[in-house]
Amino acid sequence: MRALLELRPWLKVMLERRRRLLLGAALMLVTLASALGLLSLSGWFITATAVAALAAQAAYLDVFTPGAGIRGFAVSRTVARYLERLYNHDTVLRLLADLRTRAFGQLVALDGRTLSRARASQWLNRLTADIDTLDNLYLRLLAPPLVALVGILTFAGLAALFLPVVAGTLLALMLPLWCLITLGCAAWGWRHAQQRVDGQEALRVRTIEHVDGLPELTAYRVLAEHRRHWREEEATLLAHQRTLGRRAAAGNALVTLIVQASALAVLVLAIMAYQAGTVSGPVMVMLALGTLALGEGLGGLPAAFTQLGATQRAAVRLNRQTELGSKLVGESLTTGGAAPSLSYRDIGVRHAAHVALQHYSLALAPGERVAVIGPSGSGKSTLAQLAVRAFDPDEGEVRFDDRLVADLDPESLRARIGYLTQRTELFHDTLAANLRMGSPEASDEALWQVLAQVELREWAEGLPQGLETWVGEQGRQVSGGQARRIALARVILRDSPLVILDEPLSGLDGETAARIQVTLDRWLGKRTALLLAHDRSALPPCDRYHQLMP
Amino acid sequence: MSRATRAGNPSRDWLKRQAAGVRGWHRAAVACGLLAAMATLFQMGGMAWVVDRLVSHDEAPGDVVVALLVIGVALVVRSLAQWGQECCGIESGLRVRQQVRHALLDRLAALGPVRLASRHTAGLASQLVDQVEALDGYYARFLPQMVLAAAIPMLYLVVVLWLNWLAGIWLLIAAPLIPLFMALIGMGAQRLNEAQFQAVTRLSGHFLDRVRGIATLQLFGLAARSTAEVADVADDYRRRSLKTLRVAFLSSAVLEFFAAVSVAVVAIYIGFGLLGFIDYGPADELTLFSGLLILMLAPEFFQPLRALSQHYHDRASALGAAEGLLVLLDGTPVEGGDERASAVATNSLAPGEIALEAIELEHEGRGQVLGPVALHVSPGEVVALVGPSGSGKSSLLQLIAGFAAPSAGRVEVGADTAIAWLDQRPLLIQGSVAENLRLVAPAASDAELERALCHAGLGAWLAAAPAGIHTALGERGVGMSGGEAQRLALARVFLSPAHLVLLDEPTAALDPKTEQLVIEGLRRLAAEGRTLLVATHHPAIMGMAGRLYAIEQGHLVAVTAVRASQGAEVL
Repeated sequence: MRALLELRPWLKVMLERRRRLLLGAALMLVTLASALGLLSLSGWFITATAVAALAAQAAYLDVFTPGAGIRGFAVSRTVARYLERLYNHDTVLRLLADLRTRAFGQLVALDGRTLSRARASQWLNRLTADIDTLDNLYLRLLAPPLVALVGILTFAGLAALFLPVVAGTLLALMLPLWCLITLGCAAWGWRHAQQRVDGQEALRVRTIEHVDGLPELTAYRVLAEHRRHWREEEATLLAHQRTLGRRAAAGNALVTLIVQASALAVLVLAIMAYQAGTVSGPVMVMLALGTLALGEGLGGLPAAFTQLGATQRAAVRLNRQTELGSKLVGESLTTGGAAPSLSYRDIGVRHAAHVALQHYSLALAPGERVAVIGPSGSGKSTLAQLAVRAFDPDEGEVRFDDRLVADLDPESLRARIGYLTQRTELFHDTLAANLRMGSPEASDEALWQVLAQVELREWAEGLPQGLETWVGEQGRQVSGGQARRIALARVILRDSPLVILDEPLSGLDGETAARIQVTLDRWLGKRTALLLAHDRSALPPCDRYHQLMP
Repeated sequence: MSRATRAGNPSRDWLKRQAAGVRGWHRAAVACGLLAAMATLFQMGGMAWVVDRLVSHDEAPGDVVVALLVIGVALVVRSLAQWGQECCGIESGLRVRQQVRHALLDRLAALGPVRLASRHTAGLASQLVDQVEALDGYYARFLPQMVLAAAIPMLYLVVVLWLNWLAGIWLLIAAPLIPLFMALIGMGAQRLNEAQFQAVTRLSGHFLDRVRGIATLQLFGLAARSTAEVADVADDYRRRSLKTLRVAFLSSAVLEFFAAVSVAVVAIYIGFGLLGFIDYGPADELTLFSGLLILMLAPEFFQPLRALSQHYHDRASALGAAEGLLVLLDGTPVEGGDERASAVATNSLAPGEIALEAIELEHEGRGQVLGPVALHVSPGEVVALVGPSGSGKSSLLQLIAGFAAPSAGRVEVGADTAIAWLDQRPLLIQGSVAENLRLVAPAASDAELERALCHAGLGAWLAAAPAGIHTALGERGVGMSGGEAQRLALARVFLSPAHLVLLDEPTAALDPKTEQLVIEGLRRLAAEGRTLLVATHHPAIMGMAGRLYAIEQGHLVAVTAVRASQGAEVL
């Protein structure tokens, strides 16, 4: 039971659209009531006519009111059902869009250290599958059981007006059934439903690995081996799906059995009452047929509730994500665009058990160009991340223009820094869109100009679609060196007073690297610049060189 | 239903073909469904009979005990048969999904890494996992229901006609209109569904891409803008879904309408008939028994069709999914196909030997990248490919590795179990360092793994890591620096017994000290008699090479070490 508390924050989000939810549930109730009315009124009508015919009192039976009622229920059932389904699905999709945007908004606010701890394809699963799973909450798990319960209670109340013993029997049979196919099915499917979610995620991660790793897996001839792992994941997933399916089927069979048996029991009781003269023949048939119609409201419940565990699992994961890390906040930076100073004082940073930086100090005067040289793993990239406030240092302080970076709003700080990360990250979008990340308003002319600066103009002009060429996921459509230069061009477009370049020329051949060094030297000019590399020859000339040892 | 999908629809044919493997389960599901229908008939008949006896004939409840027992048995049979139908359907769905996933994996392997490079990994994974899931309902529910939706109403119709032919005709008039309407609506729903599947694939691709790049988005101050973009994409998805649903629900509404109206018409007809208001046809033969039974059978007559219309959505989903899967399965024909694999490994060459004859390579949208190129490399040779990035070095290595087929010419390598490959973006899987290494050498011992790591220059890293080779790594090597990740991939080369080693910029992100360690390792590899083909800018590796080639305008040009390193000196 406590596990269900995890659903609370999501119920809260849903309750923000309270009116939509209530209206949707009301439409559901109208649909059920129409079905109930149609069948019970028809049964009443037929029996009443038969009785009247037998008693030769046909002339005294009002046939028009029930006739109109029957036609009315027939129409209202159709219309209510269509509107209910459409309206409720719209509600659910609106909720999903809300939730998705919220989840991404939370992720994008996380600090760099937390980000690197999470894993990309798991996030994808969180963002789409988990949120999609939560749609069960309202449309399948919340409204239908309540509507069914209201239906059972109302009909039993109606029956009590005619024959209390029928109402008692109905409640005695239908309420336990309701509990069995909601709470019972939830408990019965709980473990398997959770494992199904995990299994699906494991299969997705394995599949991404399989596709991403195809070069290595093919070359080393271990494709079959990896596929065996993949197959094991798949078999587990299928086994859980099979169990869940069978249990839901058992629940459905139980609904049929109990509903029909209730109808039979109601019929027998009503017959006895009829023969005792307590109820009329038409009412007797009406009660039995109405009980049959109640089954309509219970149909989808077993399948939905056997999956409750999956919904809860999704909620748990989404909750953990919001607890991941706190957002970095601070004052906004308002100084102008002049070259700033940057200083590190007595910095200490630990990544898990590994010490990245210890008692490190460095100061850059405005307009100064400083190189930090060190082997990979010595903490160069950490320096850069501290400057853009990807996270705050464990010890010491970083200052930007004499303001403590830890007090500044990261967004306004980053707006003044052009940072080329060590890992090239291009987006699955056009070449132009990737470049314009640096400067959203840049004209095509500006893009061509910056492409010329990184020696890519000729190449881009040779592309049939030019700037509109789609560069693939992680820039795979372009070579490693080209991707590097596109990323560099993006930073150049940014035209910021402080520039940080982490291994700017890695992956470039000697000639290109040499030409770009000259361009970079000219472009950097009087900007404050922190350049990071494993070797000073991989950088344009700098005012000072610092050695960083791991 | 047949009008919804005209003959020759490839998606529909493909869906049908997949059903061949589960025919037995399908038949069992149908048989269970028919049994349930028969039991329902007995149940309804029994109930109507009991009411008739007691109301019209004033019998005591004791006289109908046998009938009540028959109803009870029919109920149990009906429930069990319903359970059986669902279980058999589930089995069909599971088996088809398994079958299709395996076909997809075969296809991915056949397409190879180069052709897949333009595809979005997350999109492909979503096709393999989620889109295949969408096939389930079609086999589990729709196909059996399609047979039942024809058979069960027939059964009930015969009974109703026998009881009262005019009531039967009321049902008969309503019934044939239903498939017609549904076919018309189904055609629209299917087209919309396809569009929706594209939206789902794009949605998942867009998410992974943006999530992977969140750090970059933050740096460029695009957090708010990309969140808005995500909202737009999600809203687009909602609007698309709603369009599909509006039509999909219409088909079931039409059906509900006919079902409800028919029940109403039948009820009113029977009522007036019993009262004697109707003096034509068989109305005067109506009794309470036949009247009630017809009334109870009227909804049951439409029930299988209603179920079918609910599952019609399953069919539309499956067709939409099939469309997407077919593009992947049959889309671009694989030129060379299986030939490509056999052309790569030839017994006439010694292990580690390479022979390229008049190779040409074209990339879509980029024109001719390579060719014609001819090259012969003897076992144990070290050959370096130099020259500007983007000149085609990687493409040539990919051809030799067998990731893509040349547009013309022949690629041959010596028969060998494996080729060792190192890329500019090393593969790191989720799991420990050991698992990452054992990927290429499942049988390697811990000691062998540690030795390989040392050879790759990760000895110091290993000594510093408390969990050693069991240190867990995140996706894309989180927990390792770029240089360390590359060295881990290099350790795989040392572990592999492959004679031929293809290296694409093995020292691109390493500092001089580690570079030195790696180059020593490469020397060791060469000394073991392995063939090394290296794309590189590094003078020391060029120095190791017996021969050097630059690729100029797609042609191989032999160069000297001095000339090549002059260009690279500045690095």
